Amino acid sequence: MPAVSPTNVRFSTRISNRLRGVSRLSPTATAGVVIILMFGILAIFSGLFMTHDPVSAYPDRILQSPSAEHWFGTDSNGMDVFSRVIYGAKFGFGIAIPAVTISVLIGVPVGLIAGYRGGILDEVLMRIFDGLRVFPSIILALAVVAATGQSLINVVLVLGFLDSPVFARLVRAEVLTLRSSIFVESAVAAGNPTWRILFLHLLPNSIQGAMAQTAVRAAWAVRISATLAFLGVGIQAPTPEWGAMIRQGAEFMVTGQWWVAIFPGIALIFLVFGLNLFGDGIQDILDPRRRVSK
Amino acid sequence: MGDIILQTTNLVKRFPVGRSGTFVNAVNGVNLSIRRGEVLGMVGESGSGKSTIGRTVLRLTNPTEGQVFFNGQDITNMPNKYVRPLRKDMQMVFQDPWSALNPRMKVGDLIAEPLRIHLDISRSECQDRTEMLAQRVRLSTDFLNRTPSALSGGQLQRVCIARAIATNPKLIVLDEPTSSLDLSVRAGILELLQELRVETEAGFLFISHDLGTIKLISDRIAVLYLGHIVEEVPKDKLFSDPSHPYSQSLLSAHLPSDPNARLRRLTLQGEIPSPINLPSGCSFHTRCPVALPACKSTSPKAEEISLNHLASCLRLHDGSNIIPRDQK
Amino acid sequence: MSLLSVSELQTHFIFHDIDNQLREACALNKVNLTLNRGEVLGIVGETGAGKSLTAQSICGLLRPPARIVGGSVKFDGRELLSLPDDELNAIRGADIAMVVQNPRSSLDPLTRIGEQLVRIHQTHTGGSLEISRQKAMEMMQAVGIPDPQGRFTAWPHELSGGMAQRVLIAMALMNSPKLLIADEPTTGLDVTVQAQILDLLRGLVSRFDMASMIITHDLGIVAHYCDEVAVMFAGEIIEQGKVRDVFLKPAHPYTQQLLAATPEQLHLGTKNQLGGQPPDLFNLPTGCLSQDRCPLATNTCQKKPPMVKITSGHNARCHFAKPLKTSRGKKNG
Repeated sequence: MPAVSPTNVRFSTRISNRLRGVSRLSPTATAGVVIILMFGILAIFSGLFMTHDPVSAYPDRILQSPSAEHWFGTDSNGMDVFSRVIYGAKFGFGIAIPAVTISVLIGVPVGLIAGYRGGILDEVLMRIFDGLRVFPSIILALAVVAATGQSLINVVLVLGFLDSPVFARLVRAEVLTLRSSIFVESAVAAGNPTWRILFLHLLPNSIQGAMAQTAVRAAWAVRISATLAFLGVGIQAPTPEWGAMIRQGAEFMVTGQWWVAIFPGIALIFLVFGLNLFGDGIQDILDPRRRVSK
Repeated sequence: MGDIILQTTNLVKRFPVGRSGTFVNAVNGVNLSIRRGEVLGMVGESGSGKSTIGRTVLRLTNPTEGQVFFNGQDITNMPNKYVRPLRKDMQMVFQDPWSALNPRMKVGDLIAEPLRIHLDISRSECQDRTEMLAQRVRLSTDFLNRTPSALSGGQLQRVCIARAIATNPKLIVLDEPTSSLDLSVRAGILELLQELRVETEAGFLFISHDLGTIKLISDRIAVLYLGHIVEEVPKDKLFSDPSHPYSQSLLSAHLPSDPNARLRRLTLQGEIPSPINLPSGCSFHTRCPVALPACKSTSPKAEEISLNHLASCLRLHDGSNIIPRDQK
Repeated sequence: MSLLSVSELQTHFIFHDIDNQLREACALNKVNLTLNRGEVLGIVGETGAGKSLTAQSICGLLRPPARIVGGSVKFDGRELLSLPDDELNAIRGADIAMVVQNPRSSLDPLTRIGEQLVRIHQTHTGGSLEISRQKAMEMMQAVGIPDPQGRFTAWPHELSGGMAQRVLIAMALMNSPKLLIADEPTTGLDVTVQAQILDLLRGLVSRFDMASMIITHDLGIVAHYCDEVAVMFAGEIIEQGKVRDVFLKPAHPYTQQLLAATPEQLHLGTKNQLGGQPPDLFNLPTGCLSQDRCPLATNTCQKKPPMVKITSGHNARCHFAKPLKTSRGKKNG
């Protein structure tokens, strides 16, 4: 029973209490959420924050160091680095969210069926997924994207597919434990057909681990897509994607124009960090045993 | 009492132990029958196989040997897809209500589930029936929208019972339904079960390790030891006239709450042998205070002592199966 | 002077919930009890009554968010609640020993049982390993483990439930405790094994002149293996006294309900209104803690009920409890 009666406490107070309670429970998750929200706002409302048009080139201002006019300086095409970094947040989310969604949509059902049925089906599926995992994902992604063509959609599809084994394994592990639990036996005893057992009984109880991983896998997707762009695959200049920007700026590090690569690099690290913090912190909230009680 | 709803002949269930080639001999040749409207109590300790029997007769696990007849039909080797619709008529109540219910489903949905699966009724009719079931088991309908974590043990067990009677089954297996519950809550559940058995005319298989509970609700009692029924007897006779030495010691180990009650202590030596290594002959001979040399080699068959009273003991004929009172 | 004297013990659970509200559950509400050597006290009650918590509070085994917020625990003349950790550690395991349910989860699965017995002896009593080993053998024999020599090197997983419980009892006895606390020692064990373990405990208590506390929800165990009984509800002892007095002439309505709910006393079909919700420890009522489920409750019960002396040594905390006239034997309310 909650200590606070819902009828006589203002909604806003309840919200702030809940937020304070959650942040007390997991400072990690809270920090992560703050960072993610920050980038989210930048991505959605980029127009409000950008000082210049991210793809407008100023040929007379090539490689200018950070100044009052261009806070992060300009790159080799004369484009404003600051605005490009802000705009790049769109790609971070624009790639990570669909990619993780695809991973979940593929991985979770596979994990459910493999875990519940076991036997040959389980062996075959898991070997396939093992094979995928063993391959260095960068190489695989490179190969697939290079073969299928350089586009954003291809990158998203490849990343989504490559990462699905993670979710399949997580769900399968939970299902393996759960399938011999009493409530599943009770569901069988009641006469449930297999599909109900999988989706109404097993799925809601086996998905927490997978859900907690989404943030971490999103971080992976952001990293990999930036890496791919850095390697010259997928997204290309002049698109203001952080990986592509780092690639472009890498050659100028030696000559002293550090700002072209460093700023997008910091943004990338920060977003990945925030996603990882959140993913780690959410475990504290979901798993009562990890809570620090005081 | 009605027709025989459940019958087993020579039921055997063995579980392989890993890949070692050994087996847990859980059930070793059990013959039982239950009629509609009758409560058969099965009592035994660990290794007796009582829970396994409960699961096997419902085809939650498959028999190794022997046969199971439900409502006259041989369901021993029936493929699962044909067994599934039969579950409308055979249900189970589990021991631990906290783990027997999906923690993420609402209580109302849990009770309604058998209705949704087996009956072709509209959503509103389903809703009505769920509310009626909740009222029948004396559970407030306020709880229908909550998840199991909001309810106490006794309330949860009522949910399980509502779920079990939803489709008016002909057979209900109850595996230690009150053992996890507090004493004062048990009474309420047993009352409810007594009412239901009269109303529904279902056959009940009531499994428990507690003699006191079994005595309250059963018509007949089967005493199990290491996968055999050693004695099968109408309720009152078990407590006045136990025949098998194991039944006698089980009764003597029962502690009544009356401090003045004299205990007939027949403390058995040693512990229950492991079902992986069943003793030869009569499986009770290793602990039996009146064992004969013959008991080591011969498995006694079930004999009828009097009407509806069967026991398996080599000593039945000369009355030496009764353990002398002062034996320790 | 009593060996153990617990007075006005209060243990609360204090924590912040997910809505950042401070929650406080009053799990033990001024518990008073005394125990002497050679006595067996049964503490009986249902889930949430505070039986295990009482034992844990006495032994100093509470973990956050549980906290002792009041009262005193005097053992052998010393106040345990104000002892520094190292002194408490010296007493716990030696002078006060505890045996719990689920014996196999209390044994270190990676150490042979003989070694565990020796280890606990070495920790508290010290001395030579040889002496510890001999004592271990002695204790294994005392608890009825067949072939102690052979079993000395056994692993915990090789033992059955009953054997494991005997090992736990042997461990408890290694340092010659003055007080033995057994928390549901036979729950989960077969009824025929239960009888053996309980007989063993009773024999050991008289042989080593220990004080013993048996915590259980099984009234039968208390009826036949305890001298005194304390009935707990909502963190309070609502009735206590000699087992004969309390069980044959229960004065508190809750005790009467509990006894009426045992299978032997129960008559199905008479529509007894028994039981009720377990008490909400976050929201205890003022006055009598069982007023929400007591059939006799009236407005008087909103005042804290006094501890009424029924006979010498038998008390009950109820407004309606009346003392028994010893010679005339008048029935109480």
